[in-house]
Amino acid sequence: MAPEQEKTKTGGNKPKPQNSQARAGQSAKDRSRAQSRAVSPKAPTGKSGRAKGAPSSGKGGNTPRPPAPGRPAPAQPQRRGISGAMMAWGAVGLVVVIVVVLVIVKVTTSSTNNSYTPTTAAPASVVHDVTNIPASVYNTVGINSPTVPVSPPTVLSNQPPMTLNGKSPAMLYYGAEYCPYCAAERWAMTAALSRFGTWSNLKITASSHTDVAAMTHTLSYRGATFTSPYLNFTGIEQFSTVPSSTSSSGFAILENPTAEEQAILAKYSSSKYNPNATTQGGISFPFVNINNQALISGASYNPTILAGQTWSQIASGLSDPTNPATQAIVATANYITAAICASTKGAPASVCQSPGVQAAARALKLG
Amino acid sequence: MSTPRWQPVATLLLALFGLGVSVYLTITHFDKVALVCSDSGTINCAKVTTSPQSVIFGIPVAMLGLFYFVPMVLLCLPAAWRSSDRRVHLARLGLAVVGVGMILYLLIAELFIIKAICLWCSSVHVVTFFLFVIIATASPMVLSSEHALSGGAHSTPSGRG
Repeated sequence: MAPEQEKTKTGGNKPKPQNSQARAGQSAKDRSRAQSRAVSPKAPTGKSGRAKGAPSSGKGGNTPRPPAPGRPAPAQPQRRGISGAMMAWGAVGLVVVIVVVLVIVKVTTSSTNNSYTPTTAAPASVVHDVTNIPASVYNTVGINSPTVPVSPPTVLSNQPPMTLNGKSPAMLYYGAEYCPYCAAERWAMTAALSRFGTWSNLKITASSHTDVAAMTHTLSYRGATFTSPYLNFTGIEQFSTVPSSTSSSGFAILENPTAEEQAILAKYSSSKYNPNATTQGGISFPFVNINNQALISGASYNPTILAGQTWSQIASGLSDPTNPATQAIVATANYITAAICASTKGAPASVCQSPGVQAAARALKLG
Repeated sequence: MSTPRWQPVATLLLALFGLGVSVYLTITHFDKVALVCSDSGTINCAKVTTSPQSVIFGIPVAMLGLFYFVPMVLLCLPAAWRSSDRRVHLARLGLAVVGVGMILYLLIAELFIIKAICLWCSSVHVVTFFLFVIIATASPMVLSSEHALSGGAHSTPSGRG
């Protein structure tokens, strides 16, 4: 490629045209010459494209033919650009196809996986076992759950007692039936509250079939009532286990908090009070406020310990203090009980003075 | 051939937006309280940003976003688009390809592993995809004209008229 290029390079002092304006000033001869030079001398592609000095062959003779008038030699960079553009658009198309396939697979999978566990009345045997855990089990377990770690509630200080529906002290639970963490928490909460009053209309259900710890068997507070001379309890199950494409959570709405309940939830779920707050104003299920004295945000223990167990198996296991699931449930129940005792001024004493509850109270530094 | 003026401007704006969101997500990775997003249901930023998939080789994905967008902003500056250095354009193209590969992985993770969508992350994915589209489709032109240009600078006059 040297001779002519050298000539061009050394022959002129003017700066080479770099833009279209400059190129507009080129003569037709210059343009034609430039076009010819754009062809690679190493790979001649046509009669007119053969570079000067390249060995000639075939019927073209020994003298390279000049480009035909008005027909510029094909520029290789342009061809490369065109094929490159096709490749680029092909790559873009491939990415789009992959994304569309992923979304279709996801939507198809979701629409075919609409199974759920219906919420039904809890069998009497299950309710009995959960609400009549032997005192010996509570005291043997205490707050020890060696297999499954249990997180204690967050204790608040200098907060006024909660009033709900004009009654105080009060306890507020906010969760959802589909939520696996709520599923774990309800076993312990139901047991703890049963030490202060009586449950009626408890239900059984199972958490979402598609979430983590899928189908964790549990109780539900939907339509349930708790009566107690010591404590006013309100349980809100905001969403059911029924998948719903119109709900923000993906599950059908059951009930929403009242304005009074919403105000309490908004205040105490904030990072000012709740160290487990994950978002500004967001609330993680389950959220339990025990008379503004203690908070539970998220499960106290990992729900996977309940995996594969039926309601009856979990409930009947509560009489065995060596059962890992029982240890997690009872230790959590003792923590909740201790927090409630701090709100009921230690009543009833038979519960609040029991060794298991006292161990929890000491761990929580509750007077 | 030259690159249309809108491409450098568009890629720079996209890269700056992506950088901003990445900075925000990096902050929220270490200070979770600041993340403004739904945290229940299908749209659940917290579930995504605190999932095991939010960390790759010990590095938070949000920080990987930073490491991606800082050089991308530089490579999308108009001066970089005008550069006659072929390596600049190849680096931009390579980064765009890596970016789109990453968002495909993260999309799979969100849809099928975490089963939740993070809107902030999705905005970064959209930005990364459009960066890829613009850069991938512009690069053949830029590289071919740049090839001719750089060739002309050293051995021949600039390509065809």
